[in-house]
Amino acid sequence: MKGLKYQLKSVLRDKFCLMTFLLPILVAVALNFMGSIDLSSLGELHFSILENDLPPQTITWLERYGPVTAYGTQEELAAAIKEPSTNVIGVKADGDSLKTAVSGDELDIFRQAAATLPALYEQRKNAEQAEVQVLERPDILGNFQGIFISAVLIVAMFMGCTFNAMNIISEKEDGVAFINEILPMTPSQYIFQKVVVGFLFGSLSSLVTACICFRLSWQNFGLLLALIVLSSFVAALIGLFIGKLSEGLMIGVVYIKIVMLVFIAVPIVCALIGMSGLLTVICNIVPSQPAFDGIMALSTGNIKAAVKDIGILAVHGIAWFVLYVLWHKRHATQ
Amino acid sequence: MGKGFCVLFKKDCRMLVSGKFFLMAVGFLALYTVYVNLGYIRFMQMPPYNVYLYDPAGTQTEKSSLVQVVPSMEAMDAALFSDANGVGLDASAGDVRVVLYKGAEHVDCHRADYALSLLRPFTGSAPEIIGTNTPEQKARKEITCELLFFELAAVGFLGIAAVLFKEKGMGVICVHAILPLRKELFLLSKLAVFLLSDLAFAVPLTLLNVGVTDGAAILPAVLLQTTILSLIMALVGLLCALLLKDFRQFTLVYLMIAIFAATPVFLSANTSIKFDWIGYHPFYHVYMGLKNAYFGTDISPAYYAGAVGIIVLLFLMVRLAFQREIGKEG
Repeated sequence: MKGLKYQLKSVLRDKFCLMTFLLPILVAVALNFMGSIDLSSLGELHFSILENDLPPQTITWLERYGPVTAYGTQEELAAAIKEPSTNVIGVKADGDSLKTAVSGDELDIFRQAAATLPALYEQRKNAEQAEVQVLERPDILGNFQGIFISAVLIVAMFMGCTFNAMNIISEKEDGVAFINEILPMTPSQYIFQKVVVGFLFGSLSSLVTACICFRLSWQNFGLLLALIVLSSFVAALIGLFIGKLSEGLMIGVVYIKIVMLVFIAVPIVCALIGMSGLLTVICNIVPSQPAFDGIMALSTGNIKAAVKDIGILAVHGIAWFVLYVLWHKRHATQ
Repeated sequence: MGKGFCVLFKKDCRMLVSGKFFLMAVGFLALYTVYVNLGYIRFMQMPPYNVYLYDPAGTQTEKSSLVQVVPSMEAMDAALFSDANGVGLDASAGDVRVVLYKGAEHVDCHRADYALSLLRPFTGSAPEIIGTNTPEQKARKEITCELLFFELAAVGFLGIAAVLFKEKGMGVICVHAILPLRKELFLLSKLAVFLLSDLAFAVPLTLLNVGVTDGAAILPAVLLQTTILSLIMALVGLLCALLLKDFRQFTLVYLMIAIFAATPVFLSANTSIKFDWIGYHPFYHVYMGLKNAYFGTDISPAYYAGAVGIIVLLFLMVRLAFQREIGKEG
């Protein structure tokens, strides 16, 4: 217990560890309360027109579909359409009808919208008469924001990894690692102390983040807690590996950067592309994949999938633990 | 002077090699190339909305081939549930009724009208194409530009600091105070090593990911922007490394820059989300310089003048900090 006290003391003194602890919480607060990033505008149509080219009623009609910006000259209009970061559709009058212009590098959805806009304009009377039934979306979170929040939570869960790795590397640099070897401390005590430090902080960080981002029922919260606890445990173990493997702080930072990149990229790419079959099994080798999948399942209320992901994470926990104990033993005998 | 510079240059190169710096750069080059060619290009696609029609009596005879006919209302509900961006058209009761899941207001309005328009024969003309890039070319240029910016900022900044902290720890700065060399050479050799390695990184990254023909055409402009960015980042890295106490403190600054400085720039420069204050963000202009080079857009001379001014100013500040450090150590 005394050893654990020293471990906690050393972590609390380390600004890097504290910063990594606070970072996901800060991002979660920013995401939740600032709300300045309106991702729904990403799929919106944007139109640009020439000043005094279209009648006012046509502009009002266009504004039903998205914001309209007027430009003074033909060159300015062309530059706005060509601007690569936007998907602006240029609209010009063509007798009673409309003519559209695009830069040609837009996604299919915007090019199709530009191609059909004149037809929509001609049929605007019919369209106004049609009955439209709007259904509420089945998922709680908007698609993009859900992925964003889950990614932040993954970062928080895997903070334990950074904690442990930095902790062990700084021990190595200060020479404490050598002292540890002659202290009357068994390998299991050492593993316990190190895992607990990373695990505690990783769990705490993700719990606070989860409380800020999600409003879940008690049952779902229990499942989320299980996901957090298990993935923090796995992350803490991975942190031990990184700490032991890296020779210096610089190499440690590089390893952490790579691991973090893989942890965040794999689940996001899987979620965007939609993996299936053997590929899903391979992706599940990265522990952040079941964690991410579990959070997404919980946010859509899919309890069965969440329980399956908890199972996969439990297997991860056991596997990583056994691997570390074996490796540590081999290292000790050498 | 030339000989002294060569010796310092060789020493810095050796340090980077021993720090596995080049190995890391090659690793990231491979990772990015695989990501762009196998991942990014594939999922940066957004097909038009799917339109599902339930028309048991077959009243809609002029419908477009883009409309997918479903056999029952249940089948349409299931299709819409799994494809929330799709639009359902129910023609079973005579008049056509539009069914869709709620999204952004403007988009919903367009989706409904678009779906209805597909039931009539197509009368419009194809849109005029005024740009030169295809969607794939645009996606390639955009992601390569982002990756190059990220990597230059990371490699230049983190790398130079790592090297300098190591030298600080070994007492090299102390030795420099008594060496018969001009003090600027110490800084210039570091800048030269990082500039050359950044340029050497930018060439294969651009050619492999944008494509050889397209890439070769924009390469001179890209390399010019790379030089500006590399010098700025390396100088900022040097300044931080000289002013901050240890590498740990430095990684904090690095993390702050990576998250709070880069994210709004990427959002503003690459999506239709535009922040009003982004014009005051110094990284935004540098990033836009690089992006304009990739897309072949003209860059204003004011930007170049500003960049040169900032580089000179940063260099003077670094020189001052370096002299202070020598004074402290000596």
